Amino acid sequence: MNELFGIVAEFATPQAVRTAAEDLRRAGFRVFEAYTPYPVEGLDRIIHPAPKPVLPLVMFAAAVIGAGWGYWIQFWDEALNYPLNVGGRPFNSWPAFMVGTFEFMLLVTVAAGFFGMLATSGLPRLYHPIFEANAFARASSDRFVICVEAIDSRFDAAAVRALFKRLGADRIEEVPA
Amino acid sequence: MAITLTNELPAVAPVVGPDVTLTSLSEDVSSRVSMHGAPRWWWIGFVISFALLLVLIVQMAVLFIVGIGVWGVEIPVAWGLAIAEYVWWIALASGGTIVSALFFLTRSPWRSAVNRIAESMLLSAAPCAGLMPIMHLGRPGFFYWLFPYSSVMGVWPQVRSPLWWDFICLLCYILMSIMYYYAGILPDLATVRDLATSKAKKVLYGVLALGWRGSVAEWQNQRIVYAIMSAIMAPMVISVHSVVGLDFAAGLTPGWHDTQFPPYFFFGAVISGTAVIVMLTILVRWGYSLQNVLTEYHFNAMAKVMLVGSLMLAYAYVWEAFGPLYTSDVAERTEFFHRAFGFTAPLFWSEKFLTVVVPQLLWLPVVRRNQLLLFLISGGIIIGMWQERVVFTTASLEHNYMPSYWGYYFPTVWDWATLAGTIGLFLTLFFLFLRFAPIISLAEVREIVEEGKSK
Repeated sequence: MNELFGIVAEFATPQAVRTAAEDLRRAGFRVFEAYTPYPVEGLDRIIHPAPKPVLPLVMFAAAVIGAGWGYWIQFWDEALNYPLNVGGRPFNSWPAFMVGTFEFMLLVTVAAGFFGMLATSGLPRLYHPIFEANAFARASSDRFVICVEAIDSRFDAAAVRALFKRLGADRIEEVPA
Repeated sequence: MAITLTNELPAVAPVVGPDVTLTSLSEDVSSRVSMHGAPRWWWIGFVISFALLLVLIVQMAVLFIVGIGVWGVEIPVAWGLAIAEYVWWIALASGGTIVSALFFLTRSPWRSAVNRIAESMLLSAAPCAGLMPIMHLGRPGFFYWLFPYSSVMGVWPQVRSPLWWDFICLLCYILMSIMYYYAGILPDLATVRDLATSKAKKVLYGVLALGWRGSVAEWQNQRIVYAIMSAIMAPMVISVHSVVGLDFAAGLTPGWHDTQFPPYFFFGAVISGTAVIVMLTILVRWGYSLQNVLTEYHFNAMAKVMLVGSLMLAYAYVWEAFGPLYTSDVAERTEFFHRAFGFTAPLFWSEKFLTVVVPQLLWLPVVRRNQLLLFLISGGIIIGMWQERVVFTTASLEHNYMPSYWGYYFPTVWDWATLAGTIGLFLTLFFLFLRFAPIISLAEVREIVEEGKSK
């Protein structure tokens, strides 16, 4: 038997894909993923029920690091490396450093969020087995696709097909690995 | 409960037309990107824009070879059109972020269809703003000395200066705006990739989409990051334009040395940025026949934002007059009378008329729905804001503390070439966005379409 990535079903409505996801979870499947043109409400709680809030924490840590970095650049420049006496003002004149600190903090936070988003989603990844599925072609515009992956411990091609057929999928196909 | 900014409920005056479906939406928008050959109006607009861009290139060559003496700037008026236009461009760009980020946080439904236009506008306007101070440097080739890096020269920028804050703000702003734009457009690039018919476009947009699949896990990450980014971009843009205000407020020149400058500048950004977005939305709606996606609901809402902007600006204008009249500082008062009744009086009063008086027409619902009137009012606001920036930049320097130090400012042909050229750069970039990137945020409009269906 050639290697299988999973079995894909295509649905026409968000309600149908939500019902399918619920049924799959109830049937004991754990490794399945939906591909939708927009974030379908409630689907995330069924497929990934307990997400860890990694990204907000990463962004918060980045904000702290960014603020420290921004302040340090200015402190090191004005107070340590190139102290310049401007009318007797203190070398470490922190109120004047706040704008730079603030902007660096936000820049590093947004950059951490952007690249963190790509990293946690495994992007960039220009090839993925799901791209081979014919059903996937419209998953980014008007169709709702769900895929049970073969690595699921309860995976059984015939049973998954039967389940999808019962749920009224418009198209069911196998995706090679 | 979403703040809708309109008295019509979306059910009465729909945010999207009734016959928009997920299929028609994706195909309509992505076919504008993937079609072979652009429509005629696009070519006409692009060629005109590109011709103006060539003006900028010639102007910059002359400026860099001869020096900034080709402009009308002299002592005492050392800041002329170029600095005023820097403020003007950054205000237009800031308006794009305000519409896109601030109204994302309020969950306003009209923001979904216009946010890509707003962000494309901001990414086209920000380079025009960034060019101005660089052109204004006596030694433009040394602009990188502003970067705070440990160079072998051992010389550091003076970080206590608002001019340096400005540089850092603009740099961070452009970088953050690119990331904000890209985080939002990623799913739409995937749609173009999947619907493209030619191999070359499939490869190009396949690479640009970074392999986006639209899986639940990806949407979870994208949504959470996008929401936090919006919450960061909204105060960020206020800080950027406030710091531009500090460039002036920290100077001791009469007319500039004023604590109201940061919010005053920000109010100007709200009204002028929204005005550009209204004009570009009318262009996109007409050019790409997107009457179903960009509806009267959007114009109505944006017109109200402009109206609020004009009221905030009117408040700032009252204080602009109250300060000099109340103070015992003779120089402040002399400068204000020069500004309002002297050499710059025609610009001063027509600016007030265009940005405060004319926009009061927007109280009338019939004006808010008339695209021709909206287009004219928006154009007037943009011109009025340009006049305002020119007036407070030059009038203050013309009448400084010492009467022996007074002078006048007359722009030269190269000043006008700078203005025309940066408009060319702006429009060229915007037309390229229009042609090569989905101009409507598909993922967000889809949610509105589906919400409407489930009701």
